[in-house]
Amino acid sequence: MTRTLRSQGRLLTGLTLATLLTLGCEPPEVVSTQDRQQRTRAARIEGNVIVQGSARGNAVVFLYAAERPPPPQGSGRPVAFALIPKEELFGSDLDTKSTGPFAAPFTFPLVSPGRYLLRGFIDVDTCRAGKEPCHGPDFIPWFNVTAEPNVGDVPGAAVDPQTLAPRVVEVREGEDGTPLPVLGVSVSFSEAAALRADRPSFVVEGATPIELNGGVKTFKLRAAPMPDVNLTAPVFLVRFMDEDRDGAPDDTNKDGIPELWPRVVIRKLANGGGIAEENDLDNNGQLDAKGVEYTPQVGTSDGEPDLVVLAAGLVPTTFLPELIDSSTGQPRMDAVIPASELTVAVRPSAINARDPSNPVTLAGLPAGRYAVIVIQSTGQVWRVPNELSPELPDLGLPKVESQGFSLQVPSSP
Amino acid sequence: MPGVFKRAGLLVLCLYAGAALADERLEARRHFRNGMSLIAQGQFDKGIAELQEAYAIKPHPNVLFNIARAYMDAGRAGEALEWYRRYLAANPPDAETVRATIARLETTVGTDASATPAEPAPAPSQPKVLAADAQALAALVERLEKAIARAESLPVTQGTTDLPATALGPSLPSGQPLVVAAPEEDVGAVPYEERVVTASRRAQSSLEAPNATTVITAEDIRLSGASSLVELLRRVPGADVMMMGVGSANFSLRGFNQRIANKVLVLVDGRPEYQDFLGMTIWSSPPLGLEEIERIEVIRGPGSALYGANAMLGVVNIITRAPGVGKRQIHARSGGGNTVAGSFVSYGAASALRYRLSVGYGQMDKWSLDYEADRPDIVVRGPSTQLGYQGARGNLSTEISFAPGIEMAVSTGVHRFSSEFYPLGLLRNFYLDGLTAYGKADVSLGALKLKTFWNHLGGNAGPQYEPIGQRSLATHVSSHIFNGEALFSKSFELAGEHLVNVGVEGRLKRVGWTYILGVKEEFHAAAFVQDEWRPIEPLRLVASYRMDRHPLLDGGKPGLAHSPRLSAIYIPLEGHAFRVSGASAFREPTFLESYMHLLVPAAGVPGASALTLGSQTLKPEQLVAFELGYRGEAPTLGIDWDVALYQNTVTNLIGLSAVQRLPAGESFHEESGTYLVGRSFFQNERDTYTSRGVELGASLAPIDGLGIKLSAAFQDVTSEGEEEQCGPCRQAAGIKLFGGVTYRTRADLEFGVDAAFTSGTTWIEREPAETDPTSIALIPYQLGGYTVLNARVGYEIIKDRLTAAVVGSNLGPAHSQHPFGNRVQRRIYATLTVTP
Repeated sequence: MTRTLRSQGRLLTGLTLATLLTLGCEPPEVVSTQDRQQRTRAARIEGNVIVQGSARGNAVVFLYAAERPPPPQGSGRPVAFALIPKEELFGSDLDTKSTGPFAAPFTFPLVSPGRYLLRGFIDVDTCRAGKEPCHGPDFIPWFNVTAEPNVGDVPGAAVDPQTLAPRVVEVREGEDGTPLPVLGVSVSFSEAAALRADRPSFVVEGATPIELNGGVKTFKLRAAPMPDVNLTAPVFLVRFMDEDRDGAPDDTNKDGIPELWPRVVIRKLANGGGIAEENDLDNNGQLDAKGVEYTPQVGTSDGEPDLVVLAAGLVPTTFLPELIDSSTGQPRMDAVIPASELTVAVRPSAINARDPSNPVTLAGLPAGRYAVIVIQSTGQVWRVPNELSPELPDLGLPKVESQGFSLQVPSSP
Repeated sequence: MPGVFKRAGLLVLCLYAGAALADERLEARRHFRNGMSLIAQGQFDKGIAELQEAYAIKPHPNVLFNIARAYMDAGRAGEALEWYRRYLAANPPDAETVRATIARLETTVGTDASATPAEPAPAPSQPKVLAADAQALAALVERLEKAIARAESLPVTQGTTDLPATALGPSLPSGQPLVVAAPEEDVGAVPYEERVVTASRRAQSSLEAPNATTVITAEDIRLSGASSLVELLRRVPGADVMMMGVGSANFSLRGFNQRIANKVLVLVDGRPEYQDFLGMTIWSSPPLGLEEIERIEVIRGPGSALYGANAMLGVVNIITRAPGVGKRQIHARSGGGNTVAGSFVSYGAASALRYRLSVGYGQMDKWSLDYEADRPDIVVRGPSTQLGYQGARGNLSTEISFAPGIEMAVSTGVHRFSSEFYPLGLLRNFYLDGLTAYGKADVSLGALKLKTFWNHLGGNAGPQYEPIGQRSLATHVSSHIFNGEALFSKSFELAGEHLVNVGVEGRLKRVGWTYILGVKEEFHAAAFVQDEWRPIEPLRLVASYRMDRHPLLDGGKPGLAHSPRLSAIYIPLEGHAFRVSGASAFREPTFLESYMHLLVPAAGVPGASALTLGSQTLKPEQLVAFELGYRGEAPTLGIDWDVALYQNTVTNLIGLSAVQRLPAGESFHEESGTYLVGRSFFQNERDTYTSRGVELGASLAPIDGLGIKLSAAFQDVTSEGEEEQCGPCRQAAGIKLFGGVTYRTRADLEFGVDAAFTSGTTWIEREPAETDPTSIALIPYQLGGYTVLNARVGYEIIKDRLTAAVVGSNLGPAHSQHPFGNRVQRRIYATLTVTP
């Protein structure tokens, strides 16, 4: 027995030594945990902002999904943004009048495969330019009322260097499915493109509830300064709309009335107060996966949350004489009329605009509160109600009574 | 098939190979008790043989006395004399009495006291004991029986003795030299009773401990083949061990485990390893090899009444081998996962000075990697992409005896290591590349003990994986803790026997860390008192109270935390103890929770961050605990068991708030050039959490060589309050089971296998919302139940000189123990132990 044990002992010793010599040379394998980031295949977009001009301020670069462009082309909100501090961008020329060019790198990390647009602006510190009154950088991404450029800010974008058309940046996947980073993207800013108008902040006057059988109603939007958010000279920029770029005013609803900028949208708000739009409770510009839907006038509902807007538009009468060449009778497509007041007409008809190319008229008029949204041809937007509403909890923003307004659609009897 | 039979036959052969040792203490005790029983029946030779067997397994001086006494009862004065001499050589407390007895016996048997003992004489037919000897022996017997009846009540004098066999007479029948060498806590008056020091800050029987207590011995550690400290704790009933990586783990008792588990105080020889700046134990950081551990005591239940802050759900006290008493050894380990480890431990003594010196190196790969190295979106940071642990350590522990009862112990250690840990909230696995060091000095002046230590941890840390282009969270931290403590023990009679311990303590903490905006210092002070009162037998009452002064506890100003404990232990029968205990405990806010100021980048949005803030007005987490327990033993069967029922009520739990929007004017953070999504801050939750459970544990050594350990724990955590998703309720495993079997032949083979099952849980963790990475969502993650299976086969190639073993770690299915943890994989190691 002892001999057997000894021989087995030698076997064990040999096994031990073999283990010592042969084990453990392989590197650990990659096994993603439940952490979502590890399970997401992503790449990055790298590039430089290039600024020409004497304007000084932080550069803000937005990344948009190409299929959800920002206003005025769409209503998309950025999927990410980067900020390049002015100190990094302008360096020792921060306090000079040098026109550059100035360049600084940026990176968007964790970008999923897809097609993207890059836009941005220089959030100009007007005090550095010696202007009076002046303001420092005033962009705050978390509030609609502070998330867009003001007058004097310098917009920019990633553009095709040949055509100067907006560049679509595509993050592709390699043959093995690995997303490929996109490097060397330039986002250009030129002082020549500095905004000459403030955002169209406004108050609503003369609005009454919209009722199903109440006929067309009109109300006025009056440009109103909001000095606490650095909007001192708001103005509506009225011009013909030419989205199809055919050189003629658009008439998408075929009513014979040319469409004008600014675009006015009256969108249903979520029930229960606040300023969140219905079916976009997280305010990310995309309809939520689950939400409220309504019965269409024709057919059946599609099972998806609806984006409900009222049939509304600008009353163009006041502006047409100035927009049409009296001598030729031809529309002046380049003419822009700064206006301090707009008249909006609303038909008692609700539309599901979930698919903008195929709006669906709803059977009824969903009761509730509606926001009034004005979109300029520059992409500047103002909406009421907004974060200045006194009804909201304190956000550190001023309270402005007029900014809590919402258009009412009472329940049908 | 023939191969199968051959292997089975070999196994049977191995298992049948002679006497064996699995659980030394239980086996020795079984032999001891059986021997005493036989002696009482007049079967002296068989009884004495059993006692000698017990002594051969695990030397204990009182066994020598019992052998001598048995020979006296048998009327064999010559042999009795020999064994009394051996007993005397162990320097027992009753040495003077024994010397008198020996002198009389020498006269009786007519031998020369200075002569080497002769071979035992044939047993005379009639006992020949002088009246005076009988009187002296009666006194001894009375003393021993009293000790057996109530175990030892007074603190045991520090000291160990390594005696050459030649000085004690002939070798034992097994050929094992007579070595009386054991740390103080193991040498109780009752041979082979389990003794602990952590439950009451003094040596006492496990039966008398006011809390449920588990002891993991050096033999357990060796036979387990474990490669890390925390793995061993799975054998503690109800222990919640959550391995995140090979060098990163979280440990809790009775629920409330989490990333950065912060409610169990871990000590090494009484010195805390709890990192105050972070609020967790970094299990891979102590400069300590497993081979240096004498035993690990785990106290389940609150310990703040003695240990102050952070001993909330329990205390783990790692007790290292005493200087001067061990054998010089070289350990080597190699195997799966690029594992290489080696250590050298040396013991020595010169005059009154004893020492233990150790050096070691180890490394092992992570079980799994979270990301490939060449991803286009992620950069890997830290000292190594693959290694989960790498470190080199050194340790020196010394003791010097100036006079009986007057001793000094000085120790120091350093560990240069890199490992990982998993912080809270949105943060994931961090590397830690740094150094730990400590210095410790204890002075014993009889009843007065003065203790001081310094702890240091410093190094670089940061996320192991960060998105390319995202602001890095890499940081540097440096922590220094200075502690001084004075303890005094006194026993007296007042309506029964009292043993009073009092102590005062002061602690200076100094932490420099970019996450807390620079250097912060805190000074803590505490005083405690404990009285163990025996008003009547068999009742013991233990009342403890500790008061801690914390610099922030009163709304940001210095305040007090009070920790009372009251326990009653009722021992109606020998070996059966019932206990009831009520206590409160607390966990103080960590530096992280008090001072944190960290901008956490929003995933994928380089212009946005979330601000995480500490709060200096936090209240301490509070625990009120009740426990009913029963501890029993059947020594003649070789069985110990413990049952504990508990209810823990936790309030003021500290956690991160939801992210709150900031006022518009505070949205931009100039320094980082980012906009703040909002702020999240540490706060006291309003919910009250209640954990109830039962824990069952048993150790069996029914036959020589076979050791079995079983435990089961069932618990339920509920909450009352506002939280919709009760994280602590769903994250606590409801069922935990452990079973371990060891078999050790005395010849040359050892086998061990253990399995631990943890039932499934749901973890509520923070993630950036899928649709908007600037908003934070609480996501529930399901984690299935898992079983950890380990095995070891050891072979003693050269008796007492060279042992080789093959260890299988995590032999069960691969699994994760946390949704973000490594996928725990099987690994096979080979180990060699050389005793030069």
